[in-house]
Amino acid sequence: MSDRTMGERAAGQGLSFLGRVPGVAFVLVALFAIFATLSPGFTTVPNLSNILVQSSILLLLALPMTLIIMTEGLDLSIGAVLTLASVVLATVALSTGSLSIAVLAAVAVGSAMGLLNGWIIAWPGIPPFVATLGTLSIAQGLCLLLTDGQSVVGLPDELHTVYAGYLLGLPIPIIIGAVAYALMHLLLYHTRLGTYVPALGGNREALRHAGVNDRLVLTVIYGIGGLMAGIAALLLTSRMSSAHPTAGIGMEFDAIAAVAVGGTQFERGEGWLLGTLLGVITIGVLRNGLNLLGMPSSIQVVCVGLLVILALFLDGMRRVEE
Amino acid sequence: MSQAEATVPRRSLALSNDVLSVFYRLLAVGIICVVLSFISDAFLTTNNLLNVLRQASLVFFMASGLTLVILTGKIDLSIGATVGLSACVAATVIKATDSAMLGALVGIGVGAIVGLGNGLLVTKLRIPSFIATYGMLWVVHGITYYYMSGQSVYGFPAEFRAIGSGYFLGIPIPIYLMILFLLAGNFFTKRTTYGQQIYAIGANTVAARLSGIPVNSRLNLVFILSGAMAGLASLIYLARLNSAEGDIGETLTLPTIAAVVIGGTSLFGGVGSLFGTFIGGLILTLILNGMNLLGVSANWQPLITGLIVLLAVWLDMKTRSKTDASS
Amino acid sequence: MVTLTPSAPTESPVHQAAGGAPLLELRGISKTFPGVRALDDVSFPIWAGEIHMLCGENGAGKSSLMKVLCGAYVADAGEMFHNGGKIEIKSTLDARKLGIAVIFQEFSLIPYLSVAQNIFLGREFPGRIPGTIDRQKIRSEAARFLAMIGSDIDVDTPVHKLGVAQQQMVEIAKALSQNARVLVMDEPTSALSDTETEHLFGMMRRLKANGVAIVYISHRMAEVFLLGDRITILRDGKKVDTVLPNETSVSDLVQKMVGRKVDTIHRRGDNMKAGELALEVKGLNAPSGIADINLNVRAGEIVGLCGLVGSGRTEVARAIFGADRISSGQVTFFGKPFSGGPDEATRLGVGLIPESRKAQGLALIRSVGDNIVLAALDRLFPSRLFQPRTARKAADDMIQKLRIATPSARRAAQFLSGGNQQKVVVGKWLTADARLFIFDEPTRGIDVGAKAEVFALMYDLVEKGAAILMISSELSEIVNVCDRAYVMREGRIAGELPRDRLAEENILQLGMHHE
Repeated sequence: MSDRTMGERAAGQGLSFLGRVPGVAFVLVALFAIFATLSPGFTTVPNLSNILVQSSILLLLALPMTLIIMTEGLDLSIGAVLTLASVVLATVALSTGSLSIAVLAAVAVGSAMGLLNGWIIAWPGIPPFVATLGTLSIAQGLCLLLTDGQSVVGLPDELHTVYAGYLLGLPIPIIIGAVAYALMHLLLYHTRLGTYVPALGGNREALRHAGVNDRLVLTVIYGIGGLMAGIAALLLTSRMSSAHPTAGIGMEFDAIAAVAVGGTQFERGEGWLLGTLLGVITIGVLRNGLNLLGMPSSIQVVCVGLLVILALFLDGMRRVEE
Repeated sequence: MSQAEATVPRRSLALSNDVLSVFYRLLAVGIICVVLSFISDAFLTTNNLLNVLRQASLVFFMASGLTLVILTGKIDLSIGATVGLSACVAATVIKATDSAMLGALVGIGVGAIVGLGNGLLVTKLRIPSFIATYGMLWVVHGITYYYMSGQSVYGFPAEFRAIGSGYFLGIPIPIYLMILFLLAGNFFTKRTTYGQQIYAIGANTVAARLSGIPVNSRLNLVFILSGAMAGLASLIYLARLNSAEGDIGETLTLPTIAAVVIGGTSLFGGVGSLFGTFIGGLILTLILNGMNLLGVSANWQPLITGLIVLLAVWLDMKTRSKTDASS
Repeated sequence: MVTLTPSAPTESPVHQAAGGAPLLELRGISKTFPGVRALDDVSFPIWAGEIHMLCGENGAGKSSLMKVLCGAYVADAGEMFHNGGKIEIKSTLDARKLGIAVIFQEFSLIPYLSVAQNIFLGREFPGRIPGTIDRQKIRSEAARFLAMIGSDIDVDTPVHKLGVAQQQMVEIAKALSQNARVLVMDEPTSALSDTETEHLFGMMRRLKANGVAIVYISHRMAEVFLLGDRITILRDGKKVDTVLPNETSVSDLVQKMVGRKVDTIHRRGDNMKAGELALEVKGLNAPSGIADINLNVRAGEIVGLCGLVGSGRTEVARAIFGADRISSGQVTFFGKPFSGGPDEATRLGVGLIPESRKAQGLALIRSVGDNIVLAALDRLFPSRLFQPRTARKAADDMIQKLRIATPSARRAAQFLSGGNQQKVVVGKWLTADARLFIFDEPTRGIDVGAKAEVFALMYDLVEKGAAILMISSELSEIVNVCDRAYVMREGRIAGELPRDRLAEENILQLGMHHE
């Protein structure tokens, strides 16, 4: 044992909850205020609802990304896997005419890619960023081979009702997002698997000593990422009523950004799901607001990047003060 | 551990491993060449071989900078995007001023600035390099697209195009440049204290810092060099393609990483060489050239590159875990 | 521990007398790593209801033995028996099923899980909904086991907020909750206060009365004789002997551990030549938890810095060297005020030999030669052009001077023994022309012969006018090696002991928490 734990003992103990909330919440409130002032259409109910609907796809990716980052991992392939699942969904829907088979196929392909990620990271121990960069390229390659670079169009109309439809007076994407959040919360905080997530990032050796098959757990976590990407593919394909071989590329950037802005750390297994939800909404607000102001998507990406830097900077400042 | 056991003389593994690993890679180059010359008549032609070397030179410029970063145990995922931004900015400067020299300097400068940004994110904000440079990838990408707003810039003066498509004594100029930078890079890594410090940082960053090495400034240096080399690569690209668009360089990052890893540089830092990266780039280019000669559709390229990267990393880890199982 | 009262005379373990099979028996256990025979044909029985002391120098094989017991290592050869039946421990799960629980010195806790979740990690109670866990039961059970050892830690606290002693208590509660029949503890008292130690010993006696076998590793002779029913001594991976405490003595034990007659460490003669002020620290405060540190070291002096693990010794060393941020205070090296990082300290002639050689001192995969010149690159090559021949010569000189046992300077540092690795780290600072050396636990993990060499090296350094600040947990080292010492307690300097008051009792007196 080193003497290092000293400092932790000296650090204050009381601010655990309140000390963490402000970071992302303040940023969210600030952004909200800025856009409400700059653009009159921002605070209307349809627009706010629209922000949540648009954020639902990102939420589906950012939730498992939180778990993955808490294991000191990373999934760069999640955007490409989303795209691949979307292309598979569209292709299967066209050839079988059955939407349910198509959705099942998309989820299966997504899960398979996720499990592949987990497997090559857990067993040979390939660093997550290279492993998932490799599978990113593989998923993109499969998209190209399936579509020859063309969009898949002519999908059944009922598909569009998933994204545009309402259930119990609420937009379906919001319901899917809420259910996904609830399930992920249950998984992280109320199951064995979830308990092992901070352990994978915090002290993998100890988890192994406790008799847990850490590699299997890790594989399953990445598999959940792929599974969620498969479900997100339904929303994505439904939104566009078609599948494009480049549609979801770069989505992993927003997902990682949402997790980082939400306050989850890249080390030691520290993270929380509510922060990610706030992070997703923050990025949704940012992108929507910039959209209303007529900013092209290229500038939006730059702003998301700056937002992350700002969040991490503030976070670092707060830690130093503690 | 008792002293008697530890001092039993053993043959030095370190050196023979280095020599062996280079030998194996050269062997791989030879085998691929033999196989390709049997498969395709077009392979063993001067033109094709020079073409392979010229393509390998492009990979090498990016991969050499990346090798320095990886030697320190970090990664730079933004090189592809940096190539894009450097190329676009250099292109507009050349168009506007008609000065190839100014354009080239600006192109390399833009790359260096992006590299500095990466370095500061890693050293000042303490963001893991794979996250910082991946974020940088998309930010740089966004800036490039905004800057170009869908336009393309084309038609450069012949003196500029010569660095990409010119010949000297029947050999493409990029190949001379590659040899020049290989020698310079080798000198930098092996014969300067900077090189020694870079290896030490990769082997154990904490120990390096506690041995008085200015780790942060060296990390900034390697990121700047990586960005600048991407800027240089962008110029060769530009001169070769004679036009610049926003998406230039987009697909280059993964093949570059592949070249470094195939070349035997460990992703965990501290082990590897620029010469290895040169061979790694050559192997990768030969494989892609072979696919080309065999008429394999370009659509297969991402899939195959992905598989190659995973395979190379896996093989590297397997051989490494065998040699130092004790720790 | 000087303040402890001896327990009631221990009756010899009942089961042994009754002639039954031991609870656990090892026969001929061997484990080899490349270049090291960690365990060599080790056999000994562990009886139910006994406290079995395991003694040996660092590297004698104690921790390898623990790892074999808990399933972290699988033995290459040998057999194990449980209540007379042959068993195999191939995984940690196997060990747990047999009721073997191990408390390591390096904790097996998860920083961002609560105390309760840590105690039941891998053994969570299922909840009513299939697949979920019963968080309430986990909390209440955890509280029950903590209460059992007299700890009142809140079970919802995330572990990263606990101090070392509290983490130790969580570890013990975790082992208890596994219904351990064999409890293995590795120096559990190294970070505990008097009261906590009393609690722990009381608990151990209760467990023993309930038939639990405790394997206890300790360097503290007082504990060994106070608690032990039997004492097994390991040396160089072999079992030397198993003895009864009332049939042996401290010197006998030490001799068996060391393997030859040694009078521990020679106390240095009085030092009269303290020279210029090499290091002066005034009012140093740092976010790492140290406050109001004032100390100085003169050329030609070895000054000790001691205190319990967690008292802030390493933090002081790191803050002085510029490795950690400081919030206020002044550090002066050789009369020059210093406020930079380790690179600046190196330039000013200061060298840090950190506590963990492997993690902080050496680039293990680099060669011995590369490591030796690492801190001296700027000095040897002011033009920044690296000359392999010059570097090689500097390295060879140092290898010869310090008698580093390595076939060549090209050998990777990871293949050297602990003592020789330590010499490489010292050689690195000698090559860099350091004049002030900060040694953090200089003898950790190296064998006795090498220890003597390291001390001889230190004496030679001060003889030639260098200054040394030495951190050590081994009080005998501080007492015998240092000219004077500062004692730390809870992040502050609790007092300074001049040479004539430098004794283990006085250090303990100053360094203990008084609760």
